[in-house]
Amino acid sequence: MEIQLLSFGKIAEIITVKHVNIEGISDTDGLKSHLEAQFPELKNVKYKLAVNKLIVQSNTSLTHHATVAIMPPFSGG
Amino acid sequence: MDTERYNRQLILKGFGETAQQKLADAKVLIIGVGGLGCPALQYLVASGIGKIGMVDGDRVSLSNLHRQILFTTADVGKLKVEVASKRLNELNPQIGIEAYPNFITQTNALQIFSQYDLIIDGTDNFESRYLINDACALLQKPLIFAAVSGFEGQLAIFNIEDQNGVKTNYRDLFPIQPGKGEIPNCAENGILGVLPGIIGTMMATEAIKLITGIGEALINQILNYNLLNQQVYTITITPSPNNTYKLPSNQNEFLNMNYGSNVQSKAKQVVEIDIDEFENLQKKKSTLIIDVRETYEVPVLNLSDYKQVPMSVFESFLNQDIEQENIVLLCQHGIRSLAAAEELHEKYGDKKHIYSLKGGVIRWKKYFTTTP
Repeated sequence: MEIQLLSFGKIAEIITVKHVNIEGISDTDGLKSHLEAQFPELKNVKYKLAVNKLIVQSNTSLTHHATVAIMPPFSGG
Repeated sequence: MDTERYNRQLILKGFGETAQQKLADAKVLIIGVGGLGCPALQYLVASGIGKIGMVDGDRVSLSNLHRQILFTTADVGKLKVEVASKRLNELNPQIGIEAYPNFITQTNALQIFSQYDLIIDGTDNFESRYLINDACALLQKPLIFAAVSGFEGQLAIFNIEDQNGVKTNYRDLFPIQPGKGEIPNCAENGILGVLPGIIGTMMATEAIKLITGIGEALINQILNYNLLNQQVYTITITPSPNNTYKLPSNQNEFLNMNYGSNVQSKAKQVVEIDIDEFENLQKKKSTLIIDVRETYEVPVLNLSDYKQVPMSVFESFLNQDIEQENIVLLCQHGIRSLAAAEELHEKYGDKKHIYSLKGGVIRWKKYFTTTP
């Protein structure tokens, strides 16, 4: 299954790819573990996922070609 | 109503005198008169909002001017709210402008917020942002949130019910306040001057939309803006499942919340000092002074003996052992130095005396720039 990744702010420096091909992973919990294994720095920052423009509040199933946004908090003003 | 001043928006279809009157009746509070706050203030004052409050205890510094274009070079060193009041009053003398020359704290927030219908958060640190979020949630005040980093901005509206009666707050996005140093701020990360200009103007836009009822405000949505490719990506926010976080449910609980260093509760063993104490400590034998600002930050200190350890490399510095008994940290405004002091305190506990210079180099600029 191919997932499109959209990384914001500091996350874009950590996750350097725009697509992932995840076989055997079907939900956002699985995707998180996959990304944190591939990009260990991700474990040290806070971030929120959104699937197809809807914020993820609990484990959400993924479909082929879904867009997953990965958003960190910003504090600057 | 000053029909000539507001003519161009009065003749707008779907706006007119009804909307203009709503603006005149509105009371808006802007916290942080910085990159985001300045443009928001300028447009809101110009648009004819009846009463505008602004909260900021900071003074204008030279490194503000590339993005805070309400200020001029001659304003450097002056209180932001004083300069802003004067200039905004010249822009539109019909607006009631209230200046609060302090930072927002747990003790002053509820009292100030209660006098306004709409709160705009243009601060630059997580401590204030979580404090403001919680105070707004407690008082059920609509909150316009925005923040910037690098070339990107975020914008959202909280505490207003959408058509389905659903309300969200910032903790539905990020339930727990990030730790110090986890997310870089503008001083460490840099910022292109136009970015807060764009996002701050968007904040004013959302305020005008909310007040007058035109268009679709960003309720329960977070807009992500990237100026490098002019892309906008808007995400719908839903409430977190129960028990993900706890908001204060009354004033007492709010006062007992812990937002961390620079707002209210300070780590017990880190002592914030003023310039007199700083001078005394300098004279002591076993004192190490550490400037945690990045190497490009100015003014360069005129001190004869100090060490520069920028926050960006502070983590690795923590592995080294410090011989001196007294450690004094300083930075531009005394916020990063306090964070660094807390980290050192975690390492050394009560074995060392650890201090942070309150107000930083900017507050005591004369001391640090005059030749000894």
